[in-house]
Amino acid sequence: MSIKDISGFQNTLGNADAKGWSRSVDNNFGGNFNIEGAPSVGEAGGAKSFGEFLSESIGKVNSMQNEANVAMEQLASGESQNLHETLLAVEKADIAFRTMNQVRTKVIDAYREIMKMQI
Amino acid sequence: MDLLSSLRISSSGLAAQRKRMEAHSSNIANAQTTRTAEGGPYRRKEVVFGSEPERDSFSEILEGELAENAQTVHATEVVHTDKVIFKHDPTHPDANSEGYVAMPDINPMVEMANMIEAQRAYESNVTALNITKQMAMKTLEIGRGN
Amino acid sequence: MDVNDKTLKALTTALNFREMRQELISSNVANANTPGFKAKKMDFEEALARALDVDGQMGMNVTDGRHHNVGNGGFNNLEPEIYDNPNGVVAENGNTVDVEAEMAQMAENKLMYDALVQLINKKMGIMKYAINSEK
Repeated sequence: MSIKDISGFQNTLGNADAKGWSRSVDNNFGGNFNIEGAPSVGEAGGAKSFGEFLSESIGKVNSMQNEANVAMEQLASGESQNLHETLLAVEKADIAFRTMNQVRTKVIDAYREIMKMQI
Repeated sequence: MDLLSSLRISSSGLAAQRKRMEAHSSNIANAQTTRTAEGGPYRRKEVVFGSEPERDSFSEILEGELAENAQTVHATEVVHTDKVIFKHDPTHPDANSEGYVAMPDINPMVEMANMIEAQRAYESNVTALNITKQMAMKTLEIGRGN
Repeated sequence: MDVNDKTLKALTTALNFREMRQELISSNVANANTPGFKAKKMDFEEALARALDVDGQMGMNVTDGRHHNVGNGGFNNLEPEIYDNPNGVVAENGNTVDVEAEMAQMAENKLMYDALVQLINKKMGIMKYAINSEK
């Protein structure tokens, strides 16, 4: 992937929310991050953009958090007797959140790397 | 606060069962006692339990329903029965003119059964106390180590 | 996810109620031989479920201060229901405590208490993690 435009990249990362982020990624790069020949995310032959992929993932993490919350509330009010299911749901949401956080950290690191580059 | 009250309640149970144990073991030990300081044979002892609300009246107002419902127990009274039984034994030093001795009305089986029950009840109170203590320790874990 | 979120409040409310239940069970056990003593039971699950309104099935309008809070996460006025245990077997001295049943209840209560503490810890842990990962 070639860096066509540093300021475009800056615009991209300046957008705080995920949807805006992924939209601006698409706009400023005018294309997708797919490396030629690499297996693409989504159906074969159709390439999904990195931005879409990211916002989907964030949505998934969020819904896992909500599921975990619901499971906890049900356990607290005695509606559900499934201790193991609740704990599993909580653990899954936990891991998903931490993973997403790591991705965010890596992206910011990558941005900083790029900013350090002397042109 | 609730956990501390639970501790008080359980320990009141322990104290009450211990008194009960004392009464019945005293009964067994004195099953053949014909001479006591008050005169006459030993009188069988029994404890009577009573319960009362754990909270004092001020906190009752603040704490609502639980206050009247959680009760401590105490051995409110040690009662003596006046019953004596007469055994015919002319050779006994305390025999009266007809050769009858006044003996305490103590059946060792009954006393043993009471002691076993007291022991079981004591153990269940100990378990309750331990569980309350564990809950309190678990509460201290909130916020620790993450 | 903020510190006031509904789930955390539900967890801590449940924790309070379970503490109260432990006290009631201890009282039953201590009074297992007291003549005339009636074993007590405590219910809080329904009140909590109503306040949580987890599946959105119980919608109610709150127009008066005395109306139950449904689904709004109004946890401050929740009262448990304490009543005589209807399943007690009456002994000759009028006592209705079943010590074994009470001990079983106590074990279950303790387990759920531990689970709730663990869940609270997990939630706090995630929040702290999110805060600490700013670089």
